[in-house]
Amino acid sequence: MPKFTIDGKELEVAAGTTVIQAASAAGIDIPHFCWHPDLPVDGNCRMCLVEVEKAPKLQIACNTQVTEGMVVHTSSPKAAEAHRTTLELLLINHPIDCPVCDQAGECYLQDQYMDHGLHDAQVEIEHKVHKRKVANLGPIMLDAERCVLCSRCLRFEREVTGTNLLEFKNRGNRTEITTFDGGPITHEYAGNLADVCPVGALLSHDFRFKMRVWFLEQTESVCGGCSTGCNTWIDARDGEVQRIRPRRNVEVNKSWICDPGRMLYKQFHVPERLTGARAKRGANWEGVALEAAIDELAAKLGEAGSASAFVATPQASNEDLFAFKALAEAQGGQLDFRVGNPQDKLHVRIDEVLQRADRNPNTQGCIDLGMGKDGVDAILVACRAGAVKALVLQGPELLRAAEAADAIAKVPFVAVMATHEEPALALAHLVLPAALWVEADGTYTNYQRRVQRAKKAVPAPGDAKPRFELALGLLRRRGHALAVVSARDLFVTLAKSVPDYTNLDYKALGFGGRALATAPERAGASAPAGA
Amino acid sequence: MATRIVTVDRNTRPGVGPILLGMWITLRNMLQTLFQRKGATIQYPEENRPVSTRYRGIHILTVRQDGSPKCVACYMCATVCPAECIYIEAGERPEKSIEKYPTRFEIDLLRCVYCGFCVDACPEEAIIMSRENNLVGTTRAELVIDRDRLMSRAETAEHGAGYRPDEHDVRRPVRLAALDRLSKEHGIVPGMPKR
Ligand code: SF4
Ligand code: SF4
Ligand code: SF4
Ligand code: SF4
Ligand code: FES
Repeated sequence: MPKFTIDGKELEVAAGTTVIQAASAAGIDIPHFCWHPDLPVDGNCRMCLVEVEKAPKLQIACNTQVTEGMVVHTSSPKAAEAHRTTLELLLINHPIDCPVCDQAGECYLQDQYMDHGLHDAQVEIEHKVHKRKVANLGPIMLDAERCVLCSRCLRFEREVTGTNLLEFKNRGNRTEITTFDGGPITHEYAGNLADVCPVGALLSHDFRFKMRVWFLEQTESVCGGCSTGCNTWIDARDGEVQRIRPRRNVEVNKSWICDPGRMLYKQFHVPERLTGARAKRGANWEGVALEAAIDELAAKLGEAGSASAFVATPQASNEDLFAFKALAEAQGGQLDFRVGNPQDKLHVRIDEVLQRADRNPNTQGCIDLGMGKDGVDAILVACRAGAVKALVLQGPELLRAAEAADAIAKVPFVAVMATHEEPALALAHLVLPAALWVEADGTYTNYQRRVQRAKKAVPAPGDAKPRFELALGLLRRRGHALAVVSARDLFVTLAKSVPDYTNLDYKALGFGGRALATAPERAGASAPAGA
Repeated sequence: MATRIVTVDRNTRPGVGPILLGMWITLRNMLQTLFQRKGATIQYPEENRPVSTRYRGIHILTVRQDGSPKCVACYMCATVCPAECIYIEAGERPEKSIEKYPTRFEIDLLRCVYCGFCVDACPEEAIIMSRENNLVGTTRAELVIDRDRLMSRAETAEHGAGYRPDEHDVRRPVRLAALDRLSKEHGIVPGMPKR
């Protein structure tokens, strides 16, 4: 554990730590372009030069390991001048497109020019070397003039996706980044290229010209796309999500997310979103106020008593599941979640990077909370036998299952919580509008059994409410009110009764999540399979 | 019409004299207005007061030689606007050297406080102000002025251009402040590196 001094601060770090790692952990900002915490060191940009006492020359912080007694200065006059001259070199042929460049506002060149440069340009615009601009690489737009040749994108292609689609061509002033023959980027992790690029050379086609980044409000979230549970930022403006970005979590997704996960925001603000409750009157649907709809469902549950069944969804948060389970237990009805057996796909990878075959964010949460109780098959059998008077679905999965249709048709009252309009909802008698994962606070347990927190980023449309609120409303009407007002309280209550979740609360989870011990045999996966 | 300036010495002692003086001035103005038509009132809107060439009136979007907007939809004006009354949507321009232009550009003139910050912020001299101040409409929607109306204002603005950045470099103070910070915090005086 070498001890060293950086800008007058004494630090002790693990052997093998580089100066830039130690500095960033201590909150000291060393300017850099090519260094990325989740990519191998390349040391080509020379922006991170620092002065190390007794060393004859300045050293690059990204590839210099801390040694005992080292004394580092990151902003001494010598280091500061090195930062400025490096920037000047990088900017010689830079087009300064800031007004039309989507990177503006989160651009390393801009920030570092303001912090370390501020030199006068010595090159006239007409003398700059011109390169390929506005080149369409499928999901990515390339502007070779803006590239600082840091090779982050190359290393991403090499180390993360293993696709090697990008390469440098030409030499000297004319060096530029290119795909083979200018072809498109074909893998499902292209969006990360725009994120790793420190400047505006690689930009997302989808986000192009949509919004200036400084208007966006960022909220910590967790991707709802699959059981990997990548940590994300939701960037929204005026209650509308504009893009999803990866949030670094070394234990889960490093700094990456997949493109399907990134594109999930496209389903958030669409006309198909359910904004109000509705009930079937005869053959027709009639819009009803949400409170009235909950009243109606509570009344039906009162009539049905234990002749009721509850099907949870692995799309829901732990809080949603807990409240739903409390409702099922208060009612004495049957309960399960395993429509289509997501628990079998929980750990199945569909590529070598991040994505998993289980497209639900919280299958592990369902298992942990014991949502897999009676078996979906048993519920369907009871429905067919006419033993179920009220069926409450937390999500529309069961309505979509063709083999369940005849059983559902036998149930006199089917209520479903849903986020989007879809034909399958026609089988229900009451539809309650539910909030999406970005519209409610909640926690999700990923395939590793890591409990992670997602914060409400945007308001839910119209009357839509988080699923836990719908369940709490039902519990209250049925005389089993839980003494909670928020998802935070609900999680505290949940932690008291779910094994392994004991002593957890939102504060303990933070936004990086908490890993739980992996259960030797995964309850649920070995139990009888569902429909 | 030239404005007459009346200087009043407010340090006179109280008494009947100053009161009579005040009454005399009022009476004189009345008589002049009645019989010599030399009054302070002008016949607006037939008659207008002259306004300064730096007057901050209704905006103009300037155009390139080919008639397209000079604006590159950088959102600087919308960012700086304290009234948040500029709405822009950007689109792709076929010229790769320009890339971006506004497909929608609206200013809500009823919310605008005519501060001129948008003019100061624009890196392209794409938005300037006219000397026009008669903002009249019968509906609110009419006074949310869109891109094409803003662009054609150069021809229709009766009194010509007002506040625009050519006389004073607005970027100077920002840059000077940044240079000052650099020399104070890092002791660096930018320029060519010493050799
Ligand atoms: S395109 Fe971006 S990430 Fe790739 S080398 Fe250039 S600046 Fe670096
Ligand atoms: S891998 Fe899964 S969790 Fe990660 S971003 Fe993609 S869909 Fe979301
Ligand atoms: S003059 Fe001021 S308030 Fe009006 S649009 Fe410009 S910046 Fe906004
Ligand atoms: S600041 Fe100028 S160039 Fe930028 S959007 Fe406004 S008018 Fe257009
Ligand atoms: S960050 Fe160290 S050389 Fe690029």
